[in-house]
Amino acid sequence: MRQTLTTISEPVQPTVCKVCLFLADYSSWLLGCGATCIRMEKNMKRIAGAYGMEVETTIMPRHIHMSVWRPNTDERYTYIAAVSHCSIDFSINTRLSELSWEIADKRISFENAQDKFEKIIHSPKSNPWIVLLLVTIANASFCRLFGGDAMAMAVVGMATFGGFFLKQRLLARKIDLRVVVTLCAFVSTILGATDMLFHLGTTPSIAIATSVLYLVPGIPFLNSFSDVLYKHYICAYSRFVDTVVLTGCLSIGLCCGMAVMNAGMF
Amino acid sequence: MIAEIIQDAFFAAIASVGFAAISHPPKRVYLYCALIAAIGHSVRFVLMGGNPVSMHIVPASLLASFVVGTLAVLFSPLSRTPAETCLYPSLLPMIPGVYAYRSFGGLAMCILGKNEEQFDHYFYLFASNGLTCLFILAAMVIGATLPIFIFKKISFQATR
Repeated sequence: MRQTLTTISEPVQPTVCKVCLFLADYSSWLLGCGATCIRMEKNMKRIAGAYGMEVETTIMPRHIHMSVWRPNTDERYTYIAAVSHCSIDFSINTRLSELSWEIADKRISFENAQDKFEKIIHSPKSNPWIVLLLVTIANASFCRLFGGDAMAMAVVGMATFGGFFLKQRLLARKIDLRVVVTLCAFVSTILGATDMLFHLGTTPSIAIATSVLYLVPGIPFLNSFSDVLYKHYICAYSRFVDTVVLTGCLSIGLCCGMAVMNAGMF
Repeated sequence: MIAEIIQDAFFAAIASVGFAAISHPPKRVYLYCALIAAIGHSVRFVLMGGNPVSMHIVPASLLASFVVGTLAVLFSPLSRTPAETCLYPSLLPMIPGVYAYRSFGGLAMCILGKNEEQFDHYFYLFASNGLTCLFILAAMVIGATLPIFIFKKISFQATR
């Protein structure tokens, strides 16, 4: 009876092991969905601090090493988590940051935090058709920013629609991202070159050049440079190499498409 | 000139919203992304436009990114999202994608070049596009991250 009363008025503190395992999943998802290293570190320290613990991490390209301990005791737990291979998702990023504050401000128990974490990572994605439509319009607008005429915008819109639709379908079949980017760049270039092939507008070269821009890995590029500023050089280097490889794949697809359509890049 | 600036801002806003959709941000930030991207891209457009100033793309990107970063940090408590959620989609229209793949194209042509003159020409294209791309990215990230340092309390407590 006495024990039950204590449990209700003062929630039992989770063990160091439980907090470490929770932080392992948390950091794995946060990094996987595109958070910067500094954001991840701050959120982890905030959560650990809420339970009177401390955490130190080493962020490697595919793994996160972490050690959680309770100061002035010999309770300590070390764990290595694999980084989650999810796509960049700022919605999950935002909700995981909110969760860290809910824990820090003691608005949620450890068990509830675990449940909420599961709900966040299993939340439904945006409608793929809406994303496809928005990306199509965005890339056509991008063509305009580079000086393309209305016909070039229409052609780029069509090229983006075809390429991004293919990307969504191939990624759903779990095909390697590098292969997907190469194929999509090839398809978009072929479609983008129709402006030149049929003499539709006055800016065919802009149509070809901008038809593949939706494949440029912009956010990983920004993340890698941001990690350099905070001295997370290994993670920065790994992210930079990833983006260079993807840009290389994009260029291979683009060059092959241009060769087929007999168009020049320069 | 004003019509051109408005047009640049309009298309940058659309591009930002569309490219933001790829990274699945919360729906409430789309409006902020559009607004910040429109202001940031038009600032760069004016700085590079030649009237009254004609800046190189690197310093122009640095200053425009600083504006984008400041706005993203100031808007993040309103949108209740981390600063990067508004910041990165707003920066996407300024990503030097064309320079990035032209540097790869230059590299490929450089290897396929038939004589020294062609090799030198394409190596120049590879180096100049690659370096421009790297310096623009560095300038963008420095410019956009400085406000996060300056307003650290706002940046890291927006989701509280």
